Amino acid sequence: MTTYFLRRMLLMIPTFIGSTLIVFTILQLAPGGPLEQTIQRIQMGAAAQGETAGSTSDVMSGGGSVLPESALKELKRFYGFDKPIWQRYLIWLGVYPREVKHRDFTLEPGETEVETRAGKKDGQVWRVTVMRNGDTYTVIDDGTFSEVWKAKAENIDADGTVHGVIYQTETSGIMTGNLGESYTYQAPVTEVMKPRFKISLFFGLTGMFLSYIVCIPLGIRKALLHGSPFDFVSSVIIFVAYSIPGWAMGGVFLVLFGGGSFWNIFPLGGFHSPTEIWEALSLWGKILDQLHHAILPIFAWSIGSFAGLTVLMKNGLLENLSQDYIRTAFAKGLSEKRVVWVHAIRNSVIPIASGIGGVIGVVIAGSYFIEKVFNIDGFGKLGYQAILDRDYPITLAFLVIVVVIRLVGNIISDIALATVDPRIRFR
Amino acid sequence: MFSIRKKKIQNPREISLSIYKKRWLKFKTMKRGYYSFIILIILYALSFALPLFINNRALLVKFEGRYYFPAIAGYYPGDKFNQDVPGEANYRLLREQWQDTGSDNWLVMPPYPFGPFEDITVKGNAMYEPPSRQHWLGTDDTGRDVFARLCYAFNISISFALILAILNYIIGISIGGAMGYFGGKFDLIFQRFIEIWSSLPMLFVIIIIASIIRPNFFILILIYTLVNWIGMTYLMRAEFYREKAKDYVAAALSMGQSNLKVIFKHILPNSLVPVITYFPFAIVGYISALVGLDYLGFGLPPPTPSWGQMLDIGLQNMSKWWMVFSPVGAQFITLLLVVFIGEGVREAFDPKVYSRLR
Repeated sequence: MTTYFLRRMLLMIPTFIGSTLIVFTILQLAPGGPLEQTIQRIQMGAAAQGETAGSTSDVMSGGGSVLPESALKELKRFYGFDKPIWQRYLIWLGVYPREVKHRDFTLEPGETEVETRAGKKDGQVWRVTVMRNGDTYTVIDDGTFSEVWKAKAENIDADGTVHGVIYQTETSGIMTGNLGESYTYQAPVTEVMKPRFKISLFFGLTGMFLSYIVCIPLGIRKALLHGSPFDFVSSVIIFVAYSIPGWAMGGVFLVLFGGGSFWNIFPLGGFHSPTEIWEALSLWGKILDQLHHAILPIFAWSIGSFAGLTVLMKNGLLENLSQDYIRTAFAKGLSEKRVVWVHAIRNSVIPIASGIGGVIGVVIAGSYFIEKVFNIDGFGKLGYQAILDRDYPITLAFLVIVVVIRLVGNIISDIALATVDPRIRFR
Repeated sequence: MFSIRKKKIQNPREISLSIYKKRWLKFKTMKRGYYSFIILIILYALSFALPLFINNRALLVKFEGRYYFPAIAGYYPGDKFNQDVPGEANYRLLREQWQDTGSDNWLVMPPYPFGPFEDITVKGNAMYEPPSRQHWLGTDDTGRDVFARLCYAFNISISFALILAILNYIIGISIGGAMGYFGGKFDLIFQRFIEIWSSLPMLFVIIIIASIIRPNFFILILIYTLVNWIGMTYLMRAEFYREKAKDYVAAALSMGQSNLKVIFKHILPNSLVPVITYFPFAIVGYISALVGLDYLGFGLPPPTPSWGQMLDIGLQNMSKWWMVFSPVGAQFITLLLVVFIGEGVREAFDPKVYSRLR
């Protein structure tokens, strides 16, 4: 068993690499990426300036909106787009050194060394010397070979002038916990994600808890009363719940109870009241306010799994109740209560236990739909918004988290299954 | 009658097929599922002729001795009928004008004289009209008739789901079948691939791709198939794997039957039950998925009538309840019909008799 799970854990690595590589490649090959967006923004800014300056045609006709070569280079370096895609992937993973702190230098034809500014150290201008040795470049700092600075030529003019760059390297990426910096929020991805993650977790955990404590007893009751009016009526509700996605139902709730045309009972969305009101509330008021905002989304959240879970429980129990071992138990003279609650139920929760891993994925990753309908700044909405904004670090970080959760969730499912059902032996 | 029966017995192939006939007969006894099936089939068939029922173009126009069929022929500019409107002729207005002036010209409008695309730019249309006898389900934020859009979206949703399901089934059955039947390296490689593919959040990937290339109907189907073939493939793989180990396959092989023949003549018919019972539920999933994608804005391009998009507009105008209830209601009724069919099919193909023992 242990070896089985160990092997599963090890197999997670190639799967993780494969799935992230696929999305990474799609994102990197896609037009309209951050580079192009930034270029566009700069160009539009330039064009707008040209117009406001009132200077007529010469700005536009002279191709005034074309970005200078150096600025383009700067952008490419910043986003790492001057490297082949596999290198970018490895850099992102954190196993290949990332180049940072680029500084340009120029070597005139025939020169073999040049002094250049590397930045500041201890409040003073830090100058280093780049030495050319054939095709290789070394950086000398304070008379010794520099450990931190590296140099390379970027392009060489026809007359032999070398345009080069000095840079430092660092190895940081997903593996080292560096998820990058968001383009849109101008902050580290982990910091952007943390509060939203908590919000989604809140809805996920409450929603899951609610659906389990409703669905399992309901399923059991339906199985015990199979064919009765109760079974029929609850089946109708299940059909309805199955035929409308939870988030669409959430939209209907909002129209009904959000105060638009019908009743004004619940707020129109958000995680809690706007900050001005929220700050002024007492602790008890905060709790009430939170609940007031959470009821509709949680209800919508739970409906999503309501039908499936109830039917799973009901069918599982029904199937077990028609097994021979139940006949034996009755024949022994056990009471019905004991047969159902001790013998049959234990076997019927097996399929539900194996579904736990999948549920964990949904709990943590949230739901784009419900968060969008109720305008909650949760984790799912963050990922969705990141795609719209072409915010690749967030998109990829979101993906990494979801993929890892799913892979771990699968293993948890198996462990849960093995725990609940001692007959199962993984090899 | 008797001769037909005799023929049935004489032809052994007919007997082997009769299990499906039996199941069909069983399905027919499931009243709820069977009637849902009939209703849905009729509605879907009718929805292809929607331009004849729900349209802003007249079915028949008689103008100065000549007949026109705008509903079928398409666009006619207003000045064709001496009407002073920009662009296309406004047939509803035209009818009123002709009736008022008592002219010899006349026209026949479809039963529901509003189209899915005509918006506020057409004279006489208004935004946010609540449901009335004229506009059964009101109008939306650009003055388009909600009921007309709803009906056209029905056709698109069902077509989308059907095409998607068929494509998925073809891929799933061929790849999954081959994996289960041949096994070995082929199976192993695809299994790894499927594991990678299924660890990806599908909706997220679809949104990423759809945000890069603005999809039309067929590209959307393609994208969706690309990320969604896994489920069916895995189901078929398991089926073929199980069936292959059975004696009748060994018997067929030992008689020298080719692999192809064993796959298509022997195993496939025997492994179709889970596939067929799954079909209606796959349709439910695909319709919901299209609604979801359209709602997020990554589905069909905007003027296309779609429930998801209508829901999106509706939820932005929360006080106009008809704009939310209509698409949700339409989706609900459609899906409910499909779920009923699914229940019936499952009961007919895979009956589970639960007996309480005590």
